[in-house]
Amino acid sequence: MKEQLHASKVQLTYATVLSWTSTLGIIFIVAGYLVYVFQLLPTAVTPAEIAMQWHLRASEFHKAVPVPSGWDWVSQLGRSDVLSYASIVYLSSVTMICLAVIIPLFFKEKDRIYTIITILQVLVLVFAATGIISGGH
Amino acid sequence: MNQKVFPATGTFFLLTMLVWMLLLFPTAASAAQSQPAVQTAWWVWEIALFVFCFFLGIVAVIGGVGGGVLFVPIVSSFFPFHIDFVRGAGLLVALSGALSAGSPLLKKGLANLKLALSMALIASISSIGGAMVGLAMPENVVQLSLGATILGISVIMLLSKNSAYPDISEPDTLSKILHIYGIYYDEQLQKDVSWQIHRTPIGLLLFIVIGFMAGMFGLGAGWANVPVFNLVLGVPLRVSVATSIFVLSVNDTAAAWVYLHKGAVLPLIAVPSIAGMMLGTKIGARLLTKVHTRVVRRLVIALLAAAGLRALLKGFGI
Repeated sequence: MKEQLHASKVQLTYATVLSWTSTLGIIFIVAGYLVYVFQLLPTAVTPAEIAMQWHLRASEFHKAVPVPSGWDWVSQLGRSDVLSYASIVYLSSVTMICLAVIIPLFFKEKDRIYTIITILQVLVLVFAATGIISGGH
Repeated sequence: MNQKVFPATGTFFLLTMLVWMLLLFPTAASAAQSQPAVQTAWWVWEIALFVFCFFLGIVAVIGGVGGGVLFVPIVSSFFPFHIDFVRGAGLLVALSGALSAGSPLLKKGLANLKLALSMALIASISSIGGAMVGLAMPENVVQLSLGATILGISVIMLLSKNSAYPDISEPDTLSKILHIYGIYYDEQLQKDVSWQIHRTPIGLLLFIVIGFMAGMFGLGAGWANVPVFNLVLGVPLRVSVATSIFVLSVNDTAAAWVYLHKGAVLPLIAVPSIAGMMLGTKIGARLLTKVHTRVVRRLVIALLAAAGLRALLKGFGI
């Protein structure tokens, strides 16, 4: 009862979606990491090979070691290094999922300003995620 | 009394050691960054990173600072990873902390969605810009500007005085248009507290700067978000802290994607850091009532200043 008094319906929905998606995210990154370090699935690059080069700049590192970055891993989900990376990609998508869920709620409440702000916010994050603006892979 | 002495002494000892290590051994990590760490097994670094971040998480909570701001300067000093990967991991540490703390704060009405969305939109755009600039800069320039920023943060933390319940008599026009106001239940006062804000355009301008710096250095930006919400906009302190966490989750998401596309995120570095920091934060929250937080906070500020000084020296090639 008190929650509804102090937080709007949209805010409560955001909180519920955030709770589920972020908990899943934490489980995914830990599970993905364990699969990788114990090499429970085949891997293209072992942790030892990465450790040999992690002192290099990111740009130089990727010339030396074929680890996933951006979206170049999508077709190789069976690899343990890719699985671990994919879990981080999911964690980085949680905010977008939560924001996308509340757009129809703002729209339904005829809150034009926040419908527009939230759509713009999702667009900014989607542009960042596509890699268009950061010259991604 | 005795209950307070043990954790306080332990934390004091740990922090003092770290400050001295940062100041007295400036060449160890620099050397590690210029050549591969073949002599140490990778899993030793993984365990060390997890344990280190666990203690960093405890210290961060007790010192009242975000783990993200401690992570980048200190981990880049003690571990052999390139600062690109440390910044990528730092963003994810701050992001995962913000995501897991966000839900209860929103449900209680402590974090305000409309206030956060208004500021996060502009800050997330600038954090993308900051991340792109940060990853394109030469390493010594990154170290120099990181050092200067961290030293600045130490000064802000030392000097800033928060206002628990700012009195805003008249909200500004923009905040009225954006419907930024709220009510929350204050457990200390045991009553509902309503709030409104002023100086919204100035706040928006400051969030452009904050977003840029957070993206550039991979720092969480709670150190800047909270004073701007509280002292500039006039948001009550509790709401400022909670809403800052929400804003962090949006800004760091935007910057994290740039780091992901530039290949500056390695799960081998990010995951032990996130796991260690989250576990440490939980333990730290339990210890919070048992230690002298003011003393620890001062030591954390000293630690930050030492890390900033060290980054500055590295930037000058010393």
